[in-house]
Amino acid sequence: MKLTRRMTLAAFAGVLALGTAMPAYAADLIAIITPSHDNPFFKAEAVGAEAKAKELGYDTLVLVHDDDANKQSQLIDTAIGRGAKAIILDNAGADATVAAVQKSKDAGVPSFLIDREINATGVAVAQIVSNNYQGAQLGAQEFVKLMGEKGNYVELVGKESDTNAGIRSKGYHDVIDDYPDLKKVAQQSANWSQTEAYSKMESILQANPDIKGVISGNDTMAMGAYAALAAAGRKDVIVVGFDGSNDVRDSITSGGIKATVLQPAFAQAQMAVEQANEYIKNKKPPEKEKQLMDCVLINGDNAPKLETFALKN
Amino acid sequence: MPNKLSWLTLAALAGLSLSACKILPTPSSQSGDGDNSSAFNPDKMVEEIWAPKVIPYLRQKAGPFAEVHALAKTDPAAAGAKYGNPKKQANSPWTFAVRVEGKIVAANTQSRAATIDVDGDGDGNADARVQIGPAMRGTAIRDSLDFVQFNDFTNQIDFAQFGKAFNAHADKTVLSKLPRDGLEGRTAKMLGAYTIEGGQDLPLVTPAEAEIGPKP
Repeated sequence: MKLTRRMTLAAFAGVLALGTAMPAYAADLIAIITPSHDNPFFKAEAVGAEAKAKELGYDTLVLVHDDDANKQSQLIDTAIGRGAKAIILDNAGADATVAAVQKSKDAGVPSFLIDREINATGVAVAQIVSNNYQGAQLGAQEFVKLMGEKGNYVELVGKESDTNAGIRSKGYHDVIDDYPDLKKVAQQSANWSQTEAYSKMESILQANPDIKGVISGNDTMAMGAYAALAAAGRKDVIVVGFDGSNDVRDSITSGGIKATVLQPAFAQAQMAVEQANEYIKNKKPPEKEKQLMDCVLINGDNAPKLETFALKN
Repeated sequence: MPNKLSWLTLAALAGLSLSACKILPTPSSQSGDGDNSSAFNPDKMVEEIWAPKVIPYLRQKAGPFAEVHALAKTDPAAAGAKYGNPKKQANSPWTFAVRVEGKIVAANTQSRAATIDVDGDGDGNADARVQIGPAMRGTAIRDSLDFVQFNDFTNQIDFAQFGKAFNAHADKTVLSKLPRDGLEGRTAKMLGAYTIEGGQDLPLVTPAEAEIGPKP
């Protein structure tokens, strides 16, 4: 028993030594930091960035900050300490992240932000942002149409600390509030979580049996809400999500959830790595720091063409 | 491969445990947000540039709808150079400045997002759908202007609200004054912009100037 433990420790130390020695002879390193891969959206980002980085001859360090700004700050220290040449970051908060990105800039490690923006310019080299507001408007327009411009509805909101939760909600209301016959009977946060959305939907439905639609800040919550509605025999309720996940695609093609909005997560992550490569090799920053990428409405017409956060032609 | 991955992970963990010893500054309280949004007034900004900049730009840039749309279908880049905003976001579709003139062949005024379908070439079929509000889709007017850049805005919320302010201004000053009844058969004359979309629907034009003729 003791012996095994000692051997494990020895092996661990050996591995550590190897790990620290590595930058001396290995390829340049790109760190890829995103929220938890439990959400397939963030996983697609990490996979897309990693694939592009490897293709361009880099080693990669893939880390998750779980939407915790302190953890994110530690991970950025890790990336700096490991001698990363660039950081690809889907960040943990528009204000809280500014200091962390400044820290890596001061250490000579450029950051390339994807998906979420920060409330400062000139700190990151690039901010390639999903146009969540435009996407939310698309989703809301489809929702309004499906609802026939009237009826009671419920809004499920994402995690409050995530900038995009607020942006999507604003985008939804920007469209829906132009229709006075659409009445919001409940608005609750389910923190991007499928299980939380399920239980919240159950209780909302008990209090408001006369609902006609649910608009959700992301796909995992839409899946949870639809499951709760189906369990209560209310498959007639119109559900619209956001992200363009394969789960929701399958629900749309089988007549469940009605629509979602695709964020080009995979393409965006790859674009960030290409810009990082350009910057590392030629010291050339992208023409504009802030770059918006449009989202695409997904409904019954184009759902079959959706695969892992990208539309096939 | 799995080996390499696992010691990468361990190395990462080692880095983590080391950095965990550092004292990290707590991010300061987030007061900047509120200050920004109170200073930002998109409606006022649009009102200030509408007559001196927006309308002259659209008048100068716009082409007749049939011409623009034909070129957009065969050579989008050429149409973009001539009628579009060359400084648009890289992955965004083109938005073109256009003039739409013709006969109203259909109208949907039941929806709050009311529209008229206009036949420009006299063949009896609608060529373009024009939004007449009060609810309007998209941000075509904003996106047609080469002097408006996302880079100049704090975040996408401000940029989006600026986009909506153009629609609101068009609705308030032009579209809300248009007639709503017996539109079919009347003439329409519009100056505005539209964004190329993939769907089967008619091109959706957002007007900045609009006239509807008397009942025939």
